[in-house]
Amino acid sequence: GKHVEILDAKTREKLCFLDKVEPHATIAEIKNLFTKTHPQWYPARQSLRLDPKGKSLKDEDVLQKLPVGTTATLYFRDLGAQISWVTVFLTEYAGPLFIYLLFYFRVPFIYGHKYDFTSSRHTVVHLACICHSFHYVKRLLETLFVHRFSHGTMPLRNIFKNCTYYWGFAAWMAYYINHPLYTPPTYGAQQVKLALAIFVICQLGNFSIHMALRDLRPAGSKTRKIPYPTKNPFTWLFLLVSCPNYTYEVGSWIGFAIMTQCLPVALFSLVGFTQMTIWAKGKHRSYLKEFRDYPPLRMPIIPFLL
Amino acid sequence: MAVAIEATAKGNGGGGGRAGAGDASGTRKKKGPGPLATAYLVIYNVVMTAGWLVIAVGLVRAYLAKGSYHSLYYSIEKPLKFFQTGALLEVGIVPSSVVLTSFQVMSRVFLIWAVTHSVKEVQTEDSVLLFVIAWTITEIIRYSFYTFSLLNHLPYLIKWARYTLFIVLYPMGVSGELLTIYAALPFVRQAGLYSISLPNKYNFSFDYYAFLILIMISYIPLFPQLYFHMIHQRRKVLSHTEEHKKFE
Repeated sequence: GKHVEILDAKTREKLCFLDKVEPHATIAEIKNLFTKTHPQWYPARQSLRLDPKGKSLKDEDVLQKLPVGTTATLYFRDLGAQISWVTVFLTEYAGPLFIYLLFYFRVPFIYGHKYDFTSSRHTVVHLACICHSFHYVKRLLETLFVHRFSHGTMPLRNIFKNCTYYWGFAAWMAYYINHPLYTPPTYGAQQVKLALAIFVICQLGNFSIHMALRDLRPAGSKTRKIPYPTKNPFTWLFLLVSCPNYTYEVGSWIGFAIMTQCLPVALFSLVGFTQMTIWAKGKHRSYLKEFRDYPPLRMPIIPFLL
Repeated sequence: MAVAIEATAKGNGGGGGRAGAGDASGTRKKKGPGPLATAYLVIYNVVMTAGWLVIAVGLVRAYLAKGSYHSLYYSIEKPLKFFQTGALLEVGIVPSSVVLTSFQVMSRVFLIWAVTHSVKEVQTEDSVLLFVIAWTITEIIRYSFYTFSLLNHLPYLIKWARYTLFIVLYPMGVSGELLTIYAALPFVRQAGLYSISLPNKYNFSFDYYAFLILIMISYIPLFPQLYFHMIHQRRKVLSHTEEHKKFE
């Protein structure tokens, strides 16, 4: 067997010594052993590396495949309290669903008292509520039944950051759309119909991409493959972009902005677009790095442009 | 606050902004900018030092001419706007946190244009003089600090001044800024300045008055953090130099 010593990456203090570790043990197993001596550091918050300033080793890495002698020296970094991705997603999406409805039903203390529990006289306001609610219900269901997450957890502080963003914007948008002084779109029913079409198409597109990505990866695995168009026409966008799910998502929000003709919605779309572009570029870069034969025509998020 | 953030961002151990290139506490050998970039930075810092000296001199002359310290803003309004807005050029050439640097420059520019310039009635307030003096002294020291650092010839006096005077200048500047914003409030409310209300076709509203109050509130969490961070930096930088002086 091998010996494993774990040192603190910052102080170099010896935290743990494990003797007689199986050579084919994985990092995940070593993390479990480490937790036994330091129960406050559960495996999800451990980062073990060969070099104190280096990259984290993966859970699947095998001890004997690492460049170490009979005693492996691993450096430990505390990633801080962790929370599961599923929990974060469910919380950040349930918020907007609920919050929007508070404004839609004009719950007391939001608008003047004479408006409590009244209903808007504009059709588009009811339509907007349906669309917004549908969007977040879809997201919740996808989180529970569709997505396959590569990472189990993220830092706890992310939930506060993310919820502030989603919940804050939801409240801000909902306030204006459901306001007694709301002004319906300038071009009336035509504008709303067009916007609704864009919204529906993009929601279907986004869902199609999520399903296609799910089918790429078998349950429980963390494999990565190049996504390709399938029989579903919505997935043909893969020919032109690496992350069509983001493309469709931006499209949905643009549709919603046109439908409601509400500046805060447009601003939310812009911020979301900025963030998704950053993510898409990152994803695109990792695809390029990992796959030599990656289709050259593809752009990260906007066909031919971005 | 506009004073403190920038000192945090650039001068001391961590910052070492290229607008200042190479902080003086550093006995670290950093790979500095090339000769052309250094020349540009030196010129930039010299020009900024000169600009703020012009403002300082302008204040003194106006005071002597008028015989009072009231309403001196008008005598330095143009160079103040020019040189403080010009600091926007620093954002991005500073290797340290672009976020922190742009935040600090933005807050200064906000005060000059969105408050003092926009609300004419506050221009005669004494609080304006308070932050102008604080900024002027701070900037003269800061830009000369950078200039000397770039030329690898930083007098201890300048370093000391930079890391000590903030103790007084920072609260002074913050007080001036807050009092000015506070003074502007009734005029903003009355004129509905920069505000838009419902109904309108963009289904949007903005209340500049409420926004200014939020800005004032934001000073509460931010000011102590920055202030104590700078105190901590001061201890690090000045005691470090003391040790080195012992070995010289």
